[in-house]
Amino acid sequence: MNMSHTRPDDELLSAWLDGELDADALGQVQAWLQDHPEDAARVRAWAADRDALRVRLDASLDQPLPQAWVDRLSAAAAPAANEPHWWRRALVAGLMLASGLGGAWVQRHSAVDAVPMAAKAAPAAIEPWVQRAVAAHAVYVPEQNHAVEVSVQQGDAAQRQQQQQHLSQWLSKRLAMPVTLFNLRSEGFELVGGRLLPDTASPGAQLMYQRQDGQRVTVYVLRHEAPPKAANAPDVRIETVAGLAAMVWYEDGAGCALVGSLPRAQMSKLADVMYAQAEEAAEGQPVRQ
Amino acid sequence: MQAPPAFCQQLLDALPRVRRYARSLSYDASHADDLVQTVMERALSCWHQFDQQRNVLVWLLSIAHNAHLDHIRRDNRMSLLEPEHLSDLQDANATHGAHDPGLRMDLLAALDRLSAEHREVLLLVGVEQLSYAECAQVLQVPTGTVMSRLSRARTAMRAALDGHPKATAHTNPAIRRVV
Repeated sequence: MNMSHTRPDDELLSAWLDGELDADALGQVQAWLQDHPEDAARVRAWAADRDALRVRLDASLDQPLPQAWVDRLSAAAAPAANEPHWWRRALVAGLMLASGLGGAWVQRHSAVDAVPMAAKAAPAAIEPWVQRAVAAHAVYVPEQNHAVEVSVQQGDAAQRQQQQQHLSQWLSKRLAMPVTLFNLRSEGFELVGGRLLPDTASPGAQLMYQRQDGQRVTVYVLRHEAPPKAANAPDVRIETVAGLAAMVWYEDGAGCALVGSLPRAQMSKLADVMYAQAEEAAEGQPVRQ
Repeated sequence: MQAPPAFCQQLLDALPRVRRYARSLSYDASHADDLVQTVMERALSCWHQFDQQRNVLVWLLSIAHNAHLDHIRRDNRMSLLEPEHLSDLQDANATHGAHDPGLRMDLLAALDRLSAEHREVLLLVGVEQLSYAECAQVLQVPTGTVMSRLSRARTAMRAALDGHPKATAHTNPAIRRVV
C-alpha cells in the first residue's frame, strides 16, 4: 500500500515545514501534500505566519542596545588594570619570535586591544526560500534512485530532448512562469532532471545537475519579487547555509539559487554561465541543450 | 570579570537576539532587559565553559531560559497560579483583542495570546531558526516535545489570527520546567 494514503499528523506536517524529517518521511509527506490541497494550504498558512512573524520581529533587532551593555562588554574585553600589560606582550612576542612570526602579530594584537568594540547590526537574515533551496539540495542530492521526479536521461538523444521539453513545459505551467533548463555542459555538468516542490506562496522547482565524477549541484527557482538591495550590491550574491554555498539572484520576478559544495570559484563560474543564459532567455532566445 | 575580546564581541553580536527572546518571555520590557543583563553576566563569568564548536546564540538562549525559570521560582505570583486561573487570566486579557473577529488580528497581539511555551517554540524555531535539537537544548526538553509543542503552537497561532478567542484556552499549561 502506498504510504501517501496515510494521513500525516500535524506534528509531521509541521516538522516537514521545518526541514526536520528524514528522506523517507519527507517523501511521504510531500506526496500527501501534492494530493491533498487542503492540507497543503494549511501548511502554507503556517509558513506564512512564520515568515510574517520573522519579518515583523527582525525589525526589533535594529533597535540600539543600551550603551551600558556595550560599555560593560568593552570593559570586560579590555585587559585587567592590574595585569602587567608589558609582561603579557613580552611573553607573547617571545613565543612568536621563537617561531619567526614576531612583529606583525604583536602589532595586530595591540591594535585589537585598542579598538573600541562596535555594536554591529546583526547581518541581514537569509531569505527563507533560499534556506528551503538548501534544504531541498541536502535532501535530494544523496538520493541515488529517486534524485529527481522527472528524469531527462532515459533512452536515446531524441527521447531525452523530448523529456527536457516536457520537464520545462510542466515546471513552467506549475510555477506559472517560464522555467529555463540551464545548460551547464561547458562546466561538465549534465542535467539529470527536476522536481516540483511546495514553497510558501507558490511552488518551487529544483533542477539537478551531475558531473562525470558524481558531483552534483542543484538549481532552485520560484516566482519571487526581488527584495530591495543596495545600489552597489552585486547581482549574484553568495550565501553559506549549513556548510553549503548558495549563489542567489533575482531576475524578472523570479528567484534563483544555485546550491552546491564546490569550491567558490567553480560555484561562481557556474552562476555566471546560468545568469548569462537566464538573461538570454529573458530576451527570448531559447537555451540550447 | 574579564573575558577574551573575541568572546565579548560574539556576545555583543548576539545580544539583539537574546533581547528579542527575553521580550517574548516577559511582557515587561524592564524585566526583559534585566534578564538580558543577567545572561550577559553569567556568560562573562562562564566564558571558559563555552565550547567554540557550539552556536553561541543557542548557549546564550539556554542561559536566558534558565535565568527566567529561576526568576519565576522566586516570584510567588506566578507559581501560585493554578493552570485554570492562568487560562482565565489569559482569556480576560484576550477578550479586548477579540471585538473585531472579522479583522485579521495583529501578529504580535496573536503571539501575546499564546501560552509562554507556545511563544517560545514559535520564536526559537520560527524566528531564530534553531533546529529542533538546538531548541530542545535551550528548553531542556526532549526533541519530541519540541515537535509536538510546535505543531500545537502553530495551530493556536492560526486560531488566534482567525479570531477564535477560546481556541488556546484549554491547552495553556502554566509555565513549568519539564526535565
